[in-house]
Parts: sequence; C-alpha cells; structure tokens
Amino acid sequence: MRRSAIAVLALALAVPAHAQSVEQRIAAYKHRVSLLEDQNAVEDLQATYGYYFDKRLWDQAASLFTPNGSFEYGQRGVYIGQDHIQRAMLLFGPQGLAAGHLNNHMLLQPVITVADDGLSAKARWQGMIMLAESGQNGVWGVGVYENEYAKQRGVWRISKLHFYVTAETDYDAGWTKSAIPMEGPSALFPPDKPPSEVYRAFPGVYIPPFDYKHPVTGKSLADIPQPPDDVVGRK
Amino acid sequence: MMGRVLLAIGLAVIAAPALAQQTPEQRLDELDQRITRLEDMNQVEKVQRVYGYFVDKGQWTQLSELFADDATLEIGGKGLFLGKKRVLEYMQTAFGADGPKEGLLANHMQFQPIVDIAPDGKTAWVRSRAFVMSVGGWGLPLYEDEFVKQDGVWKFKRESGPFTMYSSWKGWGHDALNNTWPDKFDPPPDLPPTTVYLTYPAYWIVPFHYPNPVTGKPFPVEPVGAYEAPPGTPEQEASLKVGRLADGTQPIAQPPRD
Repeated sequence: MRRSAIAVLALALAVPAHAQSVEQRIAAYKHRVSLLEDQNAVEDLQATYGYYFDKRLWDQAASLFTPNGSFEYGQRGVYIGQDHIQRAMLLFGPQGLAAGHLNNHMLLQPVITVADDGLSAKARWQGMIMLAESGQNGVWGVGVYENEYAKQRGVWRISKLHFYVTAETDYDAGWTKSAIPMEGPSALFPPDKPPSEVYRAFPGVYIPPFDYKHPVTGKSLADIPQPPDDVVGRK
Repeated sequence: MMGRVLLAIGLAVIAAPALAQQTPEQRLDELDQRITRLEDMNQVEKVQRVYGYFVDKGQWTQLSELFADDATLEIGGKGLFLGKKRVLEYMQTAFGADGPKEGLLANHMQFQPIVDIAPDGKTAWVRSRAFVMSVGGWGLPLYEDEFVKQDGVWKFKRESGPFTMYSSWKGWGHDALNNTWPDKFDPPPDLPPTTVYLTYPAYWIVPFHYPNPVTGKPFPVEPVGAYEAPPGTPEQEASLKVGRLADGTQPIAQPPRD
C-alpha cells in the first residue's frame, strides 16, 4: 500500500498536479483507489478464511486458494494445490466442526502490502487460537501468519499461507507449566514439501521473517538476526 | 472508519451545488485530498501494528525507529520518556537487549483502532488497544497515540499506553497487578506520569481524542473513573493508598483488594 502510494506520489511530485492533464490525474487517482480496494479485498479474504477454518469448513477454506497455492501450518510441511490443502486440513479433524469442539483461529493486526501493479499482495497477521474438545482441557495458542495473495481474473485468492506457531499451552496450566510442541509432518498424508523453515514453538523463540520494509526508515527487515536455538542447531 | 467515510461522502453530497461551479481541477484537488486521507489512515494503522510486532520479538532498535526524534512515550504509570533515544533506552534497560528470549513470551496483539487524520493531513491520532498474552499472564493496555507526518512518512509523535488491567495467568477473577510507577524498575522517567490513575479493579476512562461519532459531542473533559481526582486534592491523595499495603508498597499478583 505504502510503497504504491509513494510510487504514485513520486509521479505526482515529479509532475506537479496542476501541470498534469485532467485525464492523467483521473488515471492516477483511479489507480490509488484501486489499491485501497485491493487492500480491503485481501483483508476480507483472509478474515473469511479464518471464519471458515474456525468451523472446519475445509472445502470452503481450500476454495480460497489459487490452483497451485500452498498451505503450511507450523512444522506440518507444505501442501500444494487445493486438493492437497483440503486433505491436509482434514488432518486437524473431519469436515464440519463436531459438537463440543472449539477451533477458533482469530486473525487480527494485518499489515497488508499490495504490489503496485495490483496483482499480488503480502500480509503479516497475528493469529490467536482457542481450542477445546469435550472432556479435555482447553488450549490457548498464538502465532504469526506471513501470507501471499494473487488477483486472478479480478478475484483475490490466497497463493501462499504460512502460519508460524509461536506458542501453545494448556488453558489451566499456562506457559510456566505447559508448552505444547508443534505437530510434525503427517505419516498418513505426507506433505508435498518438508517444512520451509525449521524452528520450535515456545519455549523456543523464532522470528517469522517480515515481508514488509520498516515503515519509517524504509529499510529491509531481512537482516534481523534469529535468536540461537540449541535444539534445532541454530547458532 | 466506514462511518467516517460515509460522513465524508455525505458532506460531499451536501456540497454538490458548489461542486457544479468548480473547475475539474478543483474537483480533482478535493478528490486527491480524500484519497490521501484514506491512504494516511491505512498507514497510521500500519505503524501502530508494526509497533506491536516489534514488541512481540523484542526488536527495540527497530521499534525506536518508528518514533519521531522529539516523540514522547508513556506506558502504564511509569512516567514520560522524552525523545527517540530515550524510547530505546527505556526498552533496552527495562526489557533487555534486542531479540526474543528463550522461554519468554510477551505478545502485544494490536486491534480495534480508531484513526483520525487532522484536516491539514500533518498529524493523526489513534485510539486502539493491545491484548497482552505473556508468560507473566494477561494484560490490557489502551493507546491514545499521536502521529506526525514528516517528509511524507508517518511516525509516532506521542505514545501513551495506560493500563486497564494486568493479571497473572490465573486470570483477573483471581488476582490483579497494580499499575506500574516511576521507580518500580529502571530506567527512571524524564518526567513524572501525566496522570495518576489505578488499574483494575479500579478504573480510569482514558480521554477520547475524538467526539461521539453520532452526537458529535466531545468526550467530557473532567476526569472520569474510580479513584480519579485532580492532583493535590485529598481525594487524589487517598487514591494513592488504594491497593497499597500499610508500608506503602504495592504487592504484585495478589488478589484484588480495595
């Protein structure tokens, strides 16, 4: 959003607004409004994914992806394509949330960057998790999404969903007494690719790489050092 | 946000007869201003959210770069820190060197923003909140932050994050932490707190930077909240003793007491 705004702004600055023809100005403003609409569409798309995922409507959730979109949740590995994504989601439980279950994956805090051509976008989201099954303790979880989107024939879709689990704990015990490790790749339905990054959830610490540049300095955040982790061998 | 966009459109409709007499250039100037305002609102929201992601991973240097050189920071009851450098000093002294620490979780999830851009487009305000999920337990800061646009870039001008409630993992039905205070931990602030208030089970209504969106009336200026009174009054003196033990200390993570 911001970079595209800057690009348009740079254009506008290069040629003072009043030196531009009415047609040029209308075209520039139309572009800026399109990017605002794109950002809203991406926000709605990802929020909708969350509402489908909560109720285990896997068919609906998988339909939001591009034909060769990818889905990666924690350390389960990467699933590619709508069919594989839908089957990967079945590993969480059957289609349709069962009675006595809670599967909330709340999505908040989006930082959305739409490419200047309005055809792709990236976003970081905060994911808050509340899980429950009858007869078992509840689970609190939290994590970060770093996702990508593509506009195909005028419709925004998820081209890459990557959820980095930060931490999961038993509701009653809390972090000081319970740290639930992530699931590994499934033997029943193995992923198309291994996990793209190897890391541990809490008590381990990991920084999901930032897709956006620092909003004030404009510098890349790619060089932020990862904290060391003896268990996964990261120095 | 939507409401205000509608309001803007409403105003435009009311102003329609005047528009008919404007040149296309004048109408485009107005359109430019409206689009810029929407872009500014998005950008200000984004800076607030990026702040949250930096807090989560202990990225204090990156976080301090979100602040203007002469910005101020005030969190909880700790007092005022003046300038970008002091923001960094505060974070690194109070919470350690840059980077997340093994076994530590301190997520400050950001949501519910109300953004307003000043008519001149140079400053902005946000009321928003964070939901803190940490190894220590739960927390609810509420922000009333001011932003400034310098050379086309939005930065924090004033960050203010008074606490609503902090509790241990057992929850706010079990215990509550008192508000922080200037000498609770290092570093000491540059100036004392702008407002003395207590957190849950007491409360203080943080003044709203914007009027009621339906009635258009501003938020009442007099202090509102339990135990709130102007500095120097007996009521305010008494409020300082609420939640403290006889020796004047404020116990942490004890059951709420009045």
